[in-house]
Amino acid sequence: MLLNVVQSIAPDNYVAFTFFIGYIAMLAASVFFFVERNSVSDKWKMSLLVSGLITGIAAVHYYYMRDYNLVTGDSPTFFRYVDWILTVPLMCVEFYLLTKLAGATKSLLWKLIFASTWMLVCGYIGEAFNVDGTTSHSVTWGVLSTLGYLYILHSVWMGEVAGLADSSGSEVVKKGVRYLAWFVLVGWAIYPVGYMCMDGGWLNGIFEASTLDIWYNIADAINKIGFGLVVYTIAISESKKELAK
Amino acid sequence: MNKFSFLYLTTCYLLASIFTLNNNIDISHQIIGSLFLITLFGIPHGAIDNVILKSEVKISNLKFYTLYVSCIIIYIIAWFISPIISFYIFLLISSYHFGESQLANYKISNNNKKIVYLLWGISLMSTLFYYNEVELINLFSSFNDTEILNSLFYFNFFKIVFYVSNFLTLLSLLFLLFKNQIKASMFKSELFQLFLLHITFYLFPVIISFTLYFVFLHSLKVLSQEFNYLNILYKKLSVSKFIIMLTPHTLLSLAFLAVFIYLSQKNIVNISILLLTIIGISVITLPHSIVMTKFYEKFK
Repeated sequence: MLLNVVQSIAPDNYVAFTFFIGYIAMLAASVFFFVERNSVSDKWKMSLLVSGLITGIAAVHYYYMRDYNLVTGDSPTFFRYVDWILTVPLMCVEFYLLTKLAGATKSLLWKLIFASTWMLVCGYIGEAFNVDGTTSHSVTWGVLSTLGYLYILHSVWMGEVAGLADSSGSEVVKKGVRYLAWFVLVGWAIYPVGYMCMDGGWLNGIFEASTLDIWYNIADAINKIGFGLVVYTIAISESKKELAK
Repeated sequence: MNKFSFLYLTTCYLLASIFTLNNNIDISHQIIGSLFLITLFGIPHGAIDNVILKSEVKISNLKFYTLYVSCIIIYIIAWFISPIISFYIFLLISSYHFGESQLANYKISNNNKKIVYLLWGISLMSTLFYYNEVELINLFSSFNDTEILNSLFYFNFFKIVFYVSNFLTLLSLLFLLFKNQIKASMFKSELFQLFLLHITFYLFPVIISFTLYFVFLHSLKVLSQEFNYLNILYKKLSVSKFIIMLTPHTLLSLAFLAVFIYLSQKNIVNISILLLTIIGISVITLPHSIVMTKFYEKFK
């Protein structure tokens, strides 16, 4: 039913507008990453495939979220978390793929996937199952979720991933992983901040729910497309190097 | 981001959760928590000034302690003569010291580094005051002898200092970047840390804000620098041996602190606990920052 109705967006409906822009941007990025797979050497194809999948999955969700928001006027928390639960672990896969040549093990991959899933599942329980807006519920699940975030942050800045990037022998990989680490540090920080802005949160009242959706949409687009573009830059540079050998 | 910023960030997230649960942390708990952290990390970071200086210059124990204690006594006398001037001198010395420890790792040319250190430190201190003006005025107004320190807030002077120093710090970091004295990654890291400081100074009460910076971004960092330096100097230094080195002067400082608090509580010394704390910190900051300047001359 939802999809059969053509929805129009009012000129002052910035939330729906950013959902729409987000959808188009993610879709365009997916097409770009899939097409550009042919421009890189075999060992980088998987990285670009994952980048394309991240933005592709997000594009589908943004399409649904825009409609959901237009019909109900609500914040599409459920769809957002489904999107994150699929795409954030994939971003962690990117870290593994980038450092695989330097010796990243499957155990690192699983640790990162587990941490990101933990972070999102706890965040979802904290946000979606807090009908009364209870502070203790919000804080408990918020703290648990943050543990997952801090694990990833530590790993990419000074832990296993950072160590592997340093020992990769490639300045491009080292620099690229550092760029991606900045995305995790600054770009992903919007999510705990957003979490603290909801009912029962410390920063509740600073942003309205709709404003928060706009920030989430902008952050999502920058984080996912930007993340993919960094991976693309590394893949192109390294492929050129391999070709020159 | 280095391990100290990571610890800082982790503590901020933890504090945000505590603030969410309690809406606020009452002042006595703030002071207890801060004192605990400062005792554990803040005081020890200056507890091996003798070892540091003796590794840099040939100086006997007697000469070191005479000079160190003389500095302290002269500054205490200065506080009695003019509290206001002494307070401003304390702010300037701390600013320079904080800036120096923050940026000493970078190869900044000798012509610029002193001014850059001072600018960075002034921007830090003025940011702390800017976001916590009301709280600080109330704090200083709570005792008769600290009310005079509110002169800092007259004529919006510190607000001008806040804008100018932050702008100039940013400008000087950009200058260093273009002059290749710092790398792009260092520039980004510094920018992020300044941003983090602004956010936390804005969000948290002044005591917590200062403790967070002082413990995680200053004291721990200096302790780590000192450990690495001595580790090379002594060929190999274990953490336990380092802790043993820190212990005597830390305990001595705490004993002096306890005596002064007792004297203040019993009204034997007619100085409020707040002014006593400020004087106490300032008089040990002066000789410590002189020693650290000597230390950072060789530190690269």
